[in-house]
Amino acid sequence: MKIKANPYSSGIKDFTNTLLSLPGRFGDVAKASDKKPMSPTEFQVNKVAAAIHPKMQVLVVEKIEELVDDFKCYTLKAENGKAAYFRAGQYLAFQIKIGNSLCTRAYSIASSPKDAVNGIYKIAVKRVADGFVSGYILDNWKEGAMVTAYAPEGTFVYEPLRDAKTVIGIAGGSGITPFLSLAKAIDERTENLNLILLYGARTEKDLAFKDELDRIALSNGSFKVVYVLSESKQKGYEHGFIGADLIKKYAPASADYSVFACGPEAMYNFLAKEVETLGIRRKFIRFEMQGVSKMTAKNAGLTDETCKVTVIDKGEKREIEGRCNETVLTALEKAGIAVPVRCRSGECGFCRSKLVCGEVYIDDASDYRRLADAQFNYIHPCCTFPKGDITIKIN
Amino acid sequence: MSKKYDVVVIGAGNGGLVAAAKSALEGKKTLLIERHNLPGGSATSFVRGRFEFEASLHELCGIGPFIEGGRELKKIFDELGVSEKIEWVALDEAFRMISLNEKEHADYTLPTTRKAFVDKVEEYCPGSREKSEKLFDIIEEANAGLDYLGTIQNFSTDIFKKIFGEYSDFINSAGYTVEEVFDALDLPQAARDCFGGYWLYLGTPLDEQSFMHYFTMFKSYIIDGPVIPKTRSHGISSAILERFEELGGEAWMSTAVRKILVRNGTVCGVELDNGDVIECDYIICNASPYNMYTKLIDGADIPKYQIKKLNSVKLAPKGFSMFLGLDKSAEELGINNHSYFIYDTTDTAKQSELTRSRAANNMQAAVCLNKGVPGCSPDGTCILYITSLFTGDDAWNDITEENYVAAKREFADRLISSFEKATGVKIRDSIEEIEIASPVTYARYLDAPNGTIYGFENTGSYGIVQRVVTDAMGKKIGHLYYAGGYGTKSLGFSPSYSTGYEAATAALRNMEKEAAKQ
Repeated sequence: MKIKANPYSSGIKDFTNTLLSLPGRFGDVAKASDKKPMSPTEFQVNKVAAAIHPKMQVLVVEKIEELVDDFKCYTLKAENGKAAYFRAGQYLAFQIKIGNSLCTRAYSIASSPKDAVNGIYKIAVKRVADGFVSGYILDNWKEGAMVTAYAPEGTFVYEPLRDAKTVIGIAGGSGITPFLSLAKAIDERTENLNLILLYGARTEKDLAFKDELDRIALSNGSFKVVYVLSESKQKGYEHGFIGADLIKKYAPASADYSVFACGPEAMYNFLAKEVETLGIRRKFIRFEMQGVSKMTAKNAGLTDETCKVTVIDKGEKREIEGRCNETVLTALEKAGIAVPVRCRSGECGFCRSKLVCGEVYIDDASDYRRLADAQFNYIHPCCTFPKGDITIKIN
Repeated sequence: MSKKYDVVVIGAGNGGLVAAAKSALEGKKTLLIERHNLPGGSATSFVRGRFEFEASLHELCGIGPFIEGGRELKKIFDELGVSEKIEWVALDEAFRMISLNEKEHADYTLPTTRKAFVDKVEEYCPGSREKSEKLFDIIEEANAGLDYLGTIQNFSTDIFKKIFGEYSDFINSAGYTVEEVFDALDLPQAARDCFGGYWLYLGTPLDEQSFMHYFTMFKSYIIDGPVIPKTRSHGISSAILERFEELGGEAWMSTAVRKILVRNGTVCGVELDNGDVIECDYIICNASPYNMYTKLIDGADIPKYQIKKLNSVKLAPKGFSMFLGLDKSAEELGINNHSYFIYDTTDTAKQSELTRSRAANNMQAAVCLNKGVPGCSPDGTCILYITSLFTGDDAWNDITEENYVAAKREFADRLISSFEKATGVKIRDSIEEIEIASPVTYARYLDAPNGTIYGFENTGSYGIVQRVVTDAMGKKIGHLYYAGGYGTKSLGFSPSYSTGYEAATAALRNMEKEAAKQ
């Protein structure tokens, strides 16, 4: 309603207008419904938020396929039929109880986002030499087993506002899974890019998902796969390690391209130097996180000494054992303490905890902390090594 | 587990943090519970690649770097002992406002401080000086009047005389909309555009916006001066939490409250998600009233008045933001300003209509952090935020899990094009990192109904006075106080901090009163 009076014509009248508009307000309250208002959870955007980011998902192992030696694909079906939707390239972090330990491990999703609509995820697990969890999964997850995973997470995704239209994907070992998801998404037209995948393995029989990749490449012009074998020379395959020459051979000659890589640490160490020689902008290079480098502790001169880790959780104190050459998170996991963990690479920040006292080592390469977190002594336990006895507050 | 606390604060958002720190400062055994793994609510940051992005804060008012001794928020932070833990940067430039409608010829860059602002408006709108000065007089006197009202304990005829005598501009303006006051001064269009440029920060068009909200905001930005924290708003949140713990407060992160427990009309504790019950005498709730009255408190315990009050107001606009890490410096790109307001039209009512849907809305507040905090990102890069708002309730109702990412990207794409068109600066090819937050994101992190980021709509009929008075009336649950963006001070950082302070002060006063009775 417009007030026609000039606000500067009459003080009394305007005072009336200012304060005596109140009865109108009281009237509004008096007239209003006394029914319970709509809960935040009932709005469409809140529903979508809840569906994409459930706190935890219970999944049933529906099918197990042996891909190659010590590399299995698990088809998981959401117990309630609803698997949270995701972007190709994202991962699921599983919470796994092994003996007294409570571990979290991230596995990239190999299935397509559309499969999630039908309640299905696929992941692939490869046995890691001296790996604690991969071996456990391979030996213990049976069909019908119930497992728990957090909502999909991760930033290893194709983003057209940021990435080049053509992506050179570089996969090694279990690092094939996010690219398989991306290839499927291209095939199902939920992603729109040209993916040229360079997939490295020792021999032909070490290539997982080959039939599926070949099938998509055959039917879809936007996806191409090139197999690169390091230990055998075969017709129709590239030979050697994936480096700058191979990338240049398959990359577009006169257009921008992005390089996406996912694979083991040894591959990254080689590839990082090679990619540098390409002279492409940093924004076009993305390496998926694969945990903190196994060399971190050694390079920092941290030894196998044990130390005391005092853990404060909601005001309760508990003492556990840690090792100077293992991350604080490893100590927490071994002690069976539940910590909100996802990436285990320093990046996501879910495990952020307060370092109350003690000295720690954090490698620059895995230090993704916020400025204020560094200022106020917060750490990401997944990439932090105790240098001696420490006290942390996890919650 | 059954420990007894004097005060439990639910939620470590801006209101909750300050409430908790004030309570601990006064020696009360205080527990702060937050469901996320870090404090701050909206006041947070996140890292992508080599960039740390601010999640929400553009400019903070209430610190008052241009005012001797600072303004109210600085006083609160000083009292709590958090000021020394935060480094501020004061801004000399207020904003650059551009209309995408070329016929409107609006492209104004305005400085902070009264004299500089008036000079600049005179430059853009010759002959406007006298009216600009008058408007500043009104704004200053109205603020003084409001401050004076805040100090009054008991009304008397002397007080009325004083308000009418010394603060007549408050009386004459506070009950109107911004547009009505501009009309009364017969302010020319270009001057209106300059003075009205900030309207998006309140989210209500000038023909509906309460002048009382406007004059407090305008003064705090232009006259008192805005600041930004060097370590993002997460630096503020962390500093308050740190201080709270130094004062003996206990903070539990990653802990969710399931129920507020009420006995005989008074709160007596909270129940956590894991079933644990924590007993306490007082609760200061930083979760929204929607959460309080639809989830946290059993219906039978809620006074009807509170439900009716909640049903009588509307939700403020819903938020959209994108966070860009660019691989060129601001100078290389030609970004010359810290803060841009880009509108489809300077007609705020029309603009507000356009923001009802994604299809027609290009409105944005863009901030280049490097122009405020040099060195906030690595050499040769810069950070740019672009934020928009949606009015009405329907702009994102067509969203599903599957179409969501494409839909928010499509809108982000549009805003990038609009930014480039308005400023002539090309940013699209330099995007190294991008995150896009939509109402879905705010629904996720803030539990905000429909993704609103501004609490309740602050129209002329729901201004500060109306909020304070309707808040003081009606039946309440005993020993339960609210602090946050849905409070009496309305949306935003500074008001939320101050509601936290007021909630704690009110609770403490009540403790004393009841102790005196016994």
